[in-house]
Amino acid sequence: MSTLAASPRRRIDLDRVFIAVCLLVPLAALGLFFIYPLATVVRRSVTEPGGTIGFGNFATILHSTSFWRATAHSLTMSSTTTAVVLLLGLVVAFALRRCRVPASTLVMGAVTLPLLMPSLVQGLGLIFLLGRNGLLTKFFSVEINIYGFWGLLIANGLYALPQAVLIISAALRSADARIYEAAEILGTSGWRQFKDITLPNIRFGLLSAGFVVFTVTITDFGNAATIGGDYSILATEIYNQVVGQMNFNLGAVVGIMLLFPTVLAFYLERVASQRQFGASSDSAVPIVPVWTPKRDLPMTIAAWLIALIPVVTVGVVVFASFVWLWPYRFDLTFRHYAVKVAGGYDPLWTTIYISIVAGLIGTALTFSLGVAMQRLPRQLIKPIYFVCMLPAAVPGLVLGLSYIFAFNAPGTPIYFLYGTAALIALCNVFHYWTQGFLTTVTGLRQVPASLQETAACLGAGLPRVMRDVVAPHMAPTIISVFFFLFMQSMVTLSAVIFLITASVSVASVSIMRLDEAGFTSQAAAYATCTMAVVIAASLLLRILLAVISGKTTKP
Amino acid sequence: MRLDLQGVGKTFDGVTALESISISAKAPEFVCLLGPSGCGKTTLLRLIAGLTAPDMGRICLDDTDLSQTPARERGFGIVFQAYSLFPNMTVAANVGYGLRIRGETPARIAARVTELLELIQLPHLADRYPWQLSGGQQQRVALARAVAVEPKLLLLDEPLSALDAKVRVELRSEIRALQQRLGILTIMVTHDQEEALTLADRIVCMQKGRVAQIGTPQELYHRPANRFVADFMGISNLIDLATAQSFAPALLAGRMASDGTIACVRPEDIVLTPGTGAQVKSVQFLGHISRLLLDWPGGELIVEQPGETALAPGAQVGVGFSSGKHAWVAAS
Repeated sequence: MSTLAASPRRRIDLDRVFIAVCLLVPLAALGLFFIYPLATVVRRSVTEPGGTIGFGNFATILHSTSFWRATAHSLTMSSTTTAVVLLLGLVVAFALRRCRVPASTLVMGAVTLPLLMPSLVQGLGLIFLLGRNGLLTKFFSVEINIYGFWGLLIANGLYALPQAVLIISAALRSADARIYEAAEILGTSGWRQFKDITLPNIRFGLLSAGFVVFTVTITDFGNAATIGGDYSILATEIYNQVVGQMNFNLGAVVGIMLLFPTVLAFYLERVASQRQFGASSDSAVPIVPVWTPKRDLPMTIAAWLIALIPVVTVGVVVFASFVWLWPYRFDLTFRHYAVKVAGGYDPLWTTIYISIVAGLIGTALTFSLGVAMQRLPRQLIKPIYFVCMLPAAVPGLVLGLSYIFAFNAPGTPIYFLYGTAALIALCNVFHYWTQGFLTTVTGLRQVPASLQETAACLGAGLPRVMRDVVAPHMAPTIISVFFFLFMQSMVTLSAVIFLITASVSVASVSIMRLDEAGFTSQAAAYATCTMAVVIAASLLLRILLAVISGKTTKP
Repeated sequence: MRLDLQGVGKTFDGVTALESISISAKAPEFVCLLGPSGCGKTTLLRLIAGLTAPDMGRICLDDTDLSQTPARERGFGIVFQAYSLFPNMTVAANVGYGLRIRGETPARIAARVTELLELIQLPHLADRYPWQLSGGQQQRVALARAVAVEPKLLLLDEPLSALDAKVRVELRSEIRALQQRLGILTIMVTHDQEEALTLADRIVCMQKGRVAQIGTPQELYHRPANRFVADFMGISNLIDLATAQSFAPALLAGRMASDGTIACVRPEDIVLTPGTGAQVKSVQFLGHISRLLLDWPGGELIVEQPGETALAPGAQVGVGFSSGKHAWVAAS
């Protein structure tokens, strides 16, 4: 066609410019909002009280008994939780994937419930059940001290169980039914099949789940704050150093100490998950379990019982928020919804705003970086990929602390961001960057290269290929990433705890403050509102995905 | 419209994919790039399309060097093996996409789409989405999309490989008819020698990143340039010079000193006579022909006879070679 040949030079440049923008904007953002703040943590950790550079802070911390006690507590608590959660996660995942369990969708929904709420909700639920005024405590009139190791173990276990179940069931899904048919014909018993085929095949999935659970629990702050009691762990230690004693530099040192186990666990998790999922083949025949009462009846009971725990814990929080005076007067009321904390429901609205902004920014940045990386030479891709993996290894508390150092610095050009909702949104984007980025990259890989090439041969420039070919293909991925970032931003506490100000605060902080002040029922009411928003978002996500898949693919 | 490739070469991470390829083709030719997987034929097609840049050599269209022209400005049409229809667009939108990019008016796009859908005999499917179509229908739409913009060159990357055998044969003749009707210079990549034989005006047979032979289907079949081409194009009996001297002296008649050292004898050019000399080892019945495997003193021979054969495994037969039907080819 004759209209085509005009000014080839200009259009080459346009494509180049497009790629450069797609690459440089996310990289600049990563540099300013992730690398630079983390560098300030390192700098502050080696800045001694007199202002000199040295390892004095490290010496102070390493000589303090409270640090070693917190470290020992953190390691004990996280490894115990990991062991318990792995076992329960394996039971649930095996029941859902390899057994005939009635209402398996409900079981999955129940187990993943804690993903939809701030981690302190589990702590609150336990307090309502087993605390000094707990339902069970009063009913059985026993004295249990739920604050401390045991409470933390249960709360963190509930919080980490969904992740373990998701990873292990993904590992269980990738197996080939023909292997089991071959074993069956060889006369292998069910238990032997589990021991000799199933377990060895998912060992890397189990490892991967184990490291994720360990990381999630050792870095979590919400549960420790509500139900940890006097059982100090590293996360609370950082918070106390910074907020309680204003020892910012000592907090930085503890933060760096916390980085060691998380970075190591994260690295091992990556290795394990690549081993697990690298080798699965497309031609595998999926396993359709047959009803086997001897196996399925006990598994059903076990899975239902495990699923009941999060339902009861969360349900009791919702219920308690409507009860006149827990646990003495069970008249239903809305009086706890008139919250007495500063700002009332403003923080909830702020959180919704922050979460939408974080979702939009994060989706746009990961998408454009993913697009640019597909067109970069291989030697450039590796380092960028590495940097994009780092955020997953950085505990939220450390990231939040790093933002204080980087942005609460009067005299720097970026000081204006401090105390704004935008900065909290950005902090959330980079806190959850790795998962969003990986999802986007996986989605982009599934856009057939030949489609983009066809469009190019038909005369489409890069922006047009993105709009007409890539974006429609990526719509489910883009929407999922947006909602992932939205929901995480709605419920996160650890990073944002350092970034709130008197005027800009978030919902999870309000819940924590209400609980700290003894208004437990109001905390429950606030948590219920937050959960309602997140559950609504997750329903909206499902509807959107269903609409999209109904439009372009086979039903 | 004339396409010239001059000494084109390409390496990937130090591995040579293509080495000094020189080909010329002129509209309305249909050229097949034929070869086994890994011979570089798809890479060559991508170089012509502009999806990959060559390391060496020039690609010219009507004496214009294309090296500075990106794929989207070359104005070529391309069809891939995997249909590659845009899943979010209807059939009509897919066919009209190239025209939309060129900023044509909706009325003209609609008219052209209707015209093309009639040409591929799918006018009733205009509002369907790709997933509602069969493989053969999808590939017809992909073809219509490629020719909608009146491309200077039509590039086909194994367009029939993903289809069922029957649909493949149908679509084969449709592609040929469409190409002849539009008179577009067409280059098709295939690994299927039968496809190349039936479709192409000329075949470029490729071997390990080089051109092994360029010629008409008849030339490649009857006068292969070397052992590779002889072996790849159909079934052949390859008999070396020493064996021929001992057991098939008839093949030596008219052989020049400059000829190659391997005789390529097609299975249909071997005549079986009553007598002795070879023994039938096995018989395959293929419907229109029977294929016999013979134990012959010079090695095994494959012979084809029309229809059914009366010969059974174990039978003794005499072997004769039709004169002038074989070719002496180079050993490499």
